[in-house]
Amino acid sequence: MSEKLQEVLKSQQKQKDTPEESKDAGVVQLVCFMVGDEEFGVPILSIQEIIKPIECTRVPSTPSYVLGVFNLRGSVIPLIDLRQKFKLPKQKTSDDTRFIVIRNENQVSGFVIDRLTEAIRINEDRIDPAPENMNENDNHIYGVGKREDRIISILKIDSLLKRTF
Amino acid sequence: MDELQELTQDFLVEAFEMIEQLDQDLVELESTPDDLDLLNGIFRVAHTIKGSSSFLNFDILTRLTHHMEDVLNQARRGDLSLNAEIMDVVLESIDMMKDLLVCIRDSGNDTEAGIDIEPVVTKLDAISKDGTVENAKAPAEGSSEEKKDEPAMPVEPIEEDDEPDYANMSDDQVEEEIERLLKIRQEEDKARREAKIAAGEDVPMPPPSPDEGQQEEPKKEEPKPEPAKSEAPKTPPPKPAAKPAAKPKAKKDEGVTTVEQTIRVDVNRLDHLMNLIGELVLGKNRLLKIYDDVEERYEGEQFLEELNQVVSSVSMVTTDLQTAVMKTRMLAIGKVFNKFPRMIRDLARELGRKIELVISGEETELDKSIVEVIGDPLVHIIRNSCDHGIEPIADRVAAGKPETGTVNLKAYNEGNSIVIEIADDGKGLDPEMLKSKSLEKGIITEREADQMSDKEAFALIFKPGFSTAAQVTNVSGRGVGMDVVKTNIEKLNGIIEIDSELGKGTTIKLKIPLTLAIIQALMVGAQEEYYAIPLASVLETVRISQDDIYTVESKSVMRLREEVLSLVRLGDIFGVENVMDSGEFTYVVVIGLAEYKLGLIVDTLVGQEEIVIKSLGDYLQGIEGIAGATIRGDGRVTLIVDVAALMQLAKNTKSAVESLNESTTKEKESPSDYKVLMVDDSKMDRKIMKKSMEPLGVTIVEAGDGQEALGIVKNGEHQFDACLIDIEMPKMDGYTLASEIRKYSRFKHMPLIAVTSRTSKSDRMRGVEVGMSEYITKPYSPDYLMNVVKRSINYKFSVEG
Repeated sequence: MSEKLQEVLKSQQKQKDTPEESKDAGVVQLVCFMVGDEEFGVPILSIQEIIKPIECTRVPSTPSYVLGVFNLRGSVIPLIDLRQKFKLPKQKTSDDTRFIVIRNENQVSGFVIDRLTEAIRINEDRIDPAPENMNENDNHIYGVGKREDRIISILKIDSLLKRTF
Repeated sequence: MDELQELTQDFLVEAFEMIEQLDQDLVELESTPDDLDLLNGIFRVAHTIKGSSSFLNFDILTRLTHHMEDVLNQARRGDLSLNAEIMDVVLESIDMMKDLLVCIRDSGNDTEAGIDIEPVVTKLDAISKDGTVENAKAPAEGSSEEKKDEPAMPVEPIEEDDEPDYANMSDDQVEEEIERLLKIRQEEDKARREAKIAAGEDVPMPPPSPDEGQQEEPKKEEPKPEPAKSEAPKTPPPKPAAKPAAKPKAKKDEGVTTVEQTIRVDVNRLDHLMNLIGELVLGKNRLLKIYDDVEERYEGEQFLEELNQVVSSVSMVTTDLQTAVMKTRMLAIGKVFNKFPRMIRDLARELGRKIELVISGEETELDKSIVEVIGDPLVHIIRNSCDHGIEPIADRVAAGKPETGTVNLKAYNEGNSIVIEIADDGKGLDPEMLKSKSLEKGIITEREADQMSDKEAFALIFKPGFSTAAQVTNVSGRGVGMDVVKTNIEKLNGIIEIDSELGKGTTIKLKIPLTLAIIQALMVGAQEEYYAIPLASVLETVRISQDDIYTVESKSVMRLREEVLSLVRLGDIFGVENVMDSGEFTYVVVIGLAEYKLGLIVDTLVGQEEIVIKSLGDYLQGIEGIAGATIRGDGRVTLIVDVAALMQLAKNTKSAVESLNESTTKEKESPSDYKVLMVDDSKMDRKIMKKSMEPLGVTIVEAGDGQEALGIVKNGEHQFDACLIDIEMPKMDGYTLASEIRKYSRFKHMPLIAVTSRTSKSDRMRGVEVGMSEYITKPYSPDYLMNVVKRSINYKFSVEG
């Protein structure tokens, strides 16, 4: 009886697993957004949530791109301005401005972006490695995803969340 | 007696815990007989119990465990392989050990139950001598015993107890075994009766006869014959020769050692609980804040009363809950104090002095994490008191003091902190000597020495590298110890106070907050930012006039009663943007840490609040001067000041030169370069105003109420040349708006024009007070308004039309 049951369960499991695998192999899901004139993407799984701008508190003796900390339902989370981090001129928050809360293991940070674009699935073979000539020390780009009409710079989560001061 | 009883209790708690583990280990050992770790663990249990029981004079238990230890030690070293036969004996001895412990728990000694350990001891001896069990015929039946886990409950029926290998016993052994079982049984009966008596049941006192066990038997569901079924050569149990098992009850009640009911809990779980409570406290703070707002808005409404009740009961329960959880983390400081009498004794011998340690307040409780850190500093302070404080006997006699020096170690609660006081009646500290020593070692400069007060001189002993001892002794003199004290106390946000009188003695007071996770803090404002200062470090707050601040060597100082206090602006330390104009008066928060004091100049004092410390996360860990963050009642994040780091930072912070970044007034090239803000809640009025100003061609920005206007002014997008303000507006009225705008130094000279229908003199007066530059009463002619604006903004073009 139990053997039979096991068998059934197993075959069900197989059915469930196989199509997913074949479909998902080599596909990365990205959430894309604009910072300045450039479109960036981060893996969807590293995003904890996306929120509208809320008030944050300045933290002294930090670089200017660290805007401070904000309260996300009881957790104190640092807020980093990607525009300033990427050495772009400051801009006032608009209705499109969002905070993307990114988590990598135990590290959580919020990032200010100008505008969300879309969530896409992209095949890994459509992603090229980051251009060689980029500055090694300050390289947050994991690769460049090619779309029909545009390219998306995919960000390296761990280097974004690494403190460099 | 009390002390002994306490020790016995501790011993029992510990022993039962170990045995619980032991049961598991033994089961495992059965399957993996070569596991050295397991063996070691079991050996340790035997060893520990032996040590403690011999100390407590439980001779029988000691003898048993001693022999067990022998066998286990051999097995552990590999001299003996644990086959099933040997295991049987080991298990038997462990069971017996349990019985003895149960007996100690119930009666206070191990002779009461009359458990006979001799047969087991003989077997154990035989094993440790020849490595074999005395009775070679013993079959490997150990596992059958294993399956019956041995519960150590005192009222458990006897058949639940271990079943030694009856089949392999000689007649004598069986006889002894029966006797043993009987005694255990009697013991249980006794315990049961006692329990009943304790529960208030009327139980007839059994006669103190040895066969009492039998009389009681019929009452039980499963009487003793059980073991008899499993074995053939069983003699009936009556044994009149047995020691009188039941002693008079009265005596027993005195000797009973009650085991404290405790549960050991992983500290992480407690921490988690504490975190949750923290969230709750934040929620409570928020609720209180909202209640205040609601109260203001709906004054006198019926439901307010109800809301008030709910809010206060929630806040009370939260506070109680917090206290309760905090209490679970509390340990008596006695745990730390207890090691000092011995230390003092040794020190006294080493130094050849007579020193007595008087401890009081050892029951004072402290958070576990603090208890762990407080030990080291105390050791150093006490060593110091003995070595440098208490004089040699000859000196003491010469000074007319008693031969024996006294060190008083005292702990007590004071508000939200605990104070530990270490006082000696030794020679005291000599400020002059301390200064000259420090000069010698280059710790301070001559100048500093001259300005130093006695208290500051005492504080020198905490400087790293400072030592008064002419030579380094075993006890002290390396100049490290007191530095350790300071660092550790600072870590706890504690304060050190030293008081000393030459020839009379020295008193060192450590003031330490009760707990670390939730603290009381003083909320202060520096310009537009708010910071929380741990209240434990705040000594006082004073309001001073700017004239009270003096500059000495480019540092700000003030005179606070007899002392000179160095001052530093909180805003300067944290680089807060200087946007507001500080008024004539300012607040100084005097903070103290360890032995230092510092005055922090802040712009506003918000008040005292209970805050929960939250970490800033990995990304912002270790920002200088910031200890963490907390979430306020309004949901905003406020940073908590790290007082120790702040004091360091303050030394390097020069008072920032008042750099009033004068807004660069751009040359106006066209009329539209002029910008005027218009604040009125009525759209109509705004239209009229707009129309009146049309001929000027200036750019006009509109706002519907004071708050909106303040936001527009503050965010700096527009540089306004003037502001037209209506007085009566929702959310924020014109007076408040004007006074808010005037707080910012960059708007100090911006023309503020009141446009209102309030015409009374007092209204006008108020307008002047809050900083209005013009006052236009409604209704007005368009020309009049235009001209006032024109004049105010220094309009330099000609008006069209």
